[in-house]
Amino acid sequence: MFRKFAVIISLVLAAAMLASCAQPTVPTAAPPVSAPAAVELPEKLSQAGKIVVGTSADYPPFEFLDAQGNKTGFDIELMTKLAERMGLKLEWADMPFDSLVAAVQQGKLDASISAFNYSEERDEQVDFSVPYYSSTDAFVVGKGFSGAITKPEDAAHYKIGVQSGTVQDGWLTSNLVETGLLPAENLSRYERAEQAFMDLATGRIVVVMADEVAVKAFMEQNPDLQIVFSAELSTGPMAIVVPEGDTVLKTAFDTLIKQLQSEGFVDELAEKYFK
Amino acid sequence: MNAANFLQYIASGTAYTLGVTLIALPLGLLIGLVLALVYVYGGKAGSRSMQAYSIVLRGIPPIVLLFILYFVVSGAINLSPFTAGALALGIVSSAYQMEIIRGAILSVDAGQMMAARAVGLSRLEAIRSVVLPQAFRHAIAPWSNEVAIVIKDSSLVYALGVPEVLRRAQLIGASNQNYLLAYGAAATIYFILVWLANKSLVGLEKRLAIPGSH
Amino acid sequence: MDEAILKIRQLRKHYGENLIFHDIDLDVAEGETIVIIGPSGTGKSTLLRCINLLTHADGGEIWLDGQRINAPGVDEDLVRQQIGMVFQNFLLFNHLTALENVKLGLTKVKKMKDAQATQKALSELQRVGLADRAHHYPGQLSGGQQQRVGIARALAMDPRIMLFDEPTSALDPELIGEVLGVMRQLAEEGMTMLCVTHEMGFAREVADKIVFMEKGSIVEQGSPEDLMYRPEHPRTREFLWKITELYGQQQEGAPADGFEAEPAWKPNEDEV
Ligand SMILES: Nc1ncnc2c1ncn2[C@@H]1O[C@H](COP(=O)(O)OP(=O)(O)OP(=O)(O)O)[C@@H](O)[C@H]1O
Ligand SMILES: [Mg+2]
Repeated sequence: MFRKFAVIISLVLAAAMLASCAQPTVPTAAPPVSAPAAVELPEKLSQAGKIVVGTSADYPPFEFLDAQGNKTGFDIELMTKLAERMGLKLEWADMPFDSLVAAVQQGKLDASISAFNYSEERDEQVDFSVPYYSSTDAFVVGKGFSGAITKPEDAAHYKIGVQSGTVQDGWLTSNLVETGLLPAENLSRYERAEQAFMDLATGRIVVVMADEVAVKAFMEQNPDLQIVFSAELSTGPMAIVVPEGDTVLKTAFDTLIKQLQSEGFVDELAEKYFK
Repeated sequence: MNAANFLQYIASGTAYTLGVTLIALPLGLLIGLVLALVYVYGGKAGSRSMQAYSIVLRGIPPIVLLFILYFVVSGAINLSPFTAGALALGIVSSAYQMEIIRGAILSVDAGQMMAARAVGLSRLEAIRSVVLPQAFRHAIAPWSNEVAIVIKDSSLVYALGVPEVLRRAQLIGASNQNYLLAYGAAATIYFILVWLANKSLVGLEKRLAIPGSH
Repeated sequence: MDEAILKIRQLRKHYGENLIFHDIDLDVAEGETIVIIGPSGTGKSTLLRCINLLTHADGGEIWLDGQRINAPGVDEDLVRQQIGMVFQNFLLFNHLTALENVKLGLTKVKKMKDAQATQKALSELQRVGLADRAHHYPGQLSGGQQQRVGIARALAMDPRIMLFDEPTSALDPELIGEVLGVMRQLAEEGMTMLCVTHEMGFAREVADKIVFMEKGSIVEQGSPEDLMYRPEHPRTREFLWKITELYGQQQEGAPADGFEAEPAWKPNEDEV
């Protein structure tokens, strides 16, 4: 997805794994009983009666602040519903995306929802729920673009911008740069997505590759932008992050996500936020 | 969110920014002072170990120390993001403040210590009553740089989710896609804080200036 | 004047390989003023610093009032209180007023009450003629005034002996007189003083004894009359001749302070 996974975090996590005496995970409980109403919860959560969930509320339409300064968005509403089904009070913790995985891993958060894609590196540190939504990558151009991108490799003919450390960055690097299609100097990496769009406006770059849903949200404020190609290239589907080995919580999320999907709730949310 | 609310939301992060700064700076000063004394007066072992302290801490990006404190150390002691952030910045700052105070101590003529000892003052008393009062005056100018740095570095606690000025600007910017205004507001707040701090330190320097000396 | 206040025996000091002085024997009796002269680098300053333990001798003994002071277990801060020191470059505490300079030792070392310390400090400043400059900072005082504050600062501790290390050599010629005047007054009041100085007028007039040091040892010592007019050692004569050339000129231009210009010595041509 869009956010970078800083090298620093990995370093710190490596240090963390060395330094902290491995936190024993919650003992595996009995397999969930097939009672659809209630799900089994880790004892820690049911005792506290609440679940602390981290998100980085700077990523519309998944999580952002509304006009009143309250958190809202696809992920926010979904998690609110999930907590409700769990019978837990939901407590949000805002944290930059880069810090969320570490915070879950170190037990600072019970879980995190922040448009996470599955990735192998992350999977070594935390566990993922079943996907609740999947998304596509888009190639975006500005007004006056006269070329054509009919397949992803065509993008290599232009100067491309991408948010650094994102899955799109990873895709471009391994599929265009490392294959020699795209000269390395023609790929500009930006710390934040909006910086890439700013350079697109000034013509310093010609194409931006980003997550389609986020691009569409951005395009509402910037109607000059145009998606010329989109496909599911870099991204896996989105999932909730839970502590490594916390199968009880993972199962609870899995069950409830499937429930909400079959009830049509997830589609409703997608309709509300992505269309 | 209208513009006024929007600015107010960002500005209310100033409390955290100031809070972190007002913990980190005095903490760094206290540790830095003690370590500077060890550095200057602690013999070879003292200066060697302080050199190492300085090199290590100035070599680590503050954010890394922040993460170590919050994610690693606070497995043992439960630190809030705010506390971990303030502590981390204070520790980083202590290395810089140690160097500032050390330089200031060395800029005081060695004869001052000798004269104080000749009167019968103990070494500690001579440091306290004669060397440090002069050193601190020399330290104010370089110190105001460090104050500016700590004010700006206080924004790093955003990484732990402390809703200070920068984090709020990010959230607001993402919410209404007006990053220019959001970051502009944040920059203005940092600028004002740094400006105020520098101005009061210049005032302090003037007020403490020794009459008759250049 | 039977028992010496300060007694030095076989004192030796080196910095690394460098032997600074050796075999120094010196007695200073109560109320006596002794002047040490000698070429630059001879170890005069180092000797004074050894006496009040600002640096440590490598051999020999120093006795103050019958107590051995350069020995393990001695409370050095206590010893230094009893020895006043006046420096060539004044070394006033720059951040303190004249009064505070004099008071510091009283409040911090003697633990005097503030009011009492102020009173004592003022009377010491009075003694050196600077009561009206009590609230001036060193930077607001002339060199001569700074040095007099330096003397008052040392005097305030009621020392048994005062050490002066070339107290006037950093001063403009017209300011030398006021400092020498204070020193002479002290000598007259019976203060015991050990002075490194090349003010030969002062030495002749005030000193009970002049000590000539060269290359780390005492070459010759005696009364001002003997040493200045009948030096036994050719090196003493040579040195006296040199400093007359160097300092004699200045002293003639100095303001009237009660000291006459020096007679010019001629090296005895017979002796080499
Ligand atoms: N801290 C020190 N370390 C090493 N050598 C020193 C130190 N202090 C003095 N010396 C050396 O000791 C010797 C004597 O110095 P000292 O200052 O005692 O001489 P002096 O007789 O007072 O000379 P002057 O008339 O120039 O003041 C000099 O050669 C000097 O370089
Ligand atoms: Mg000397």
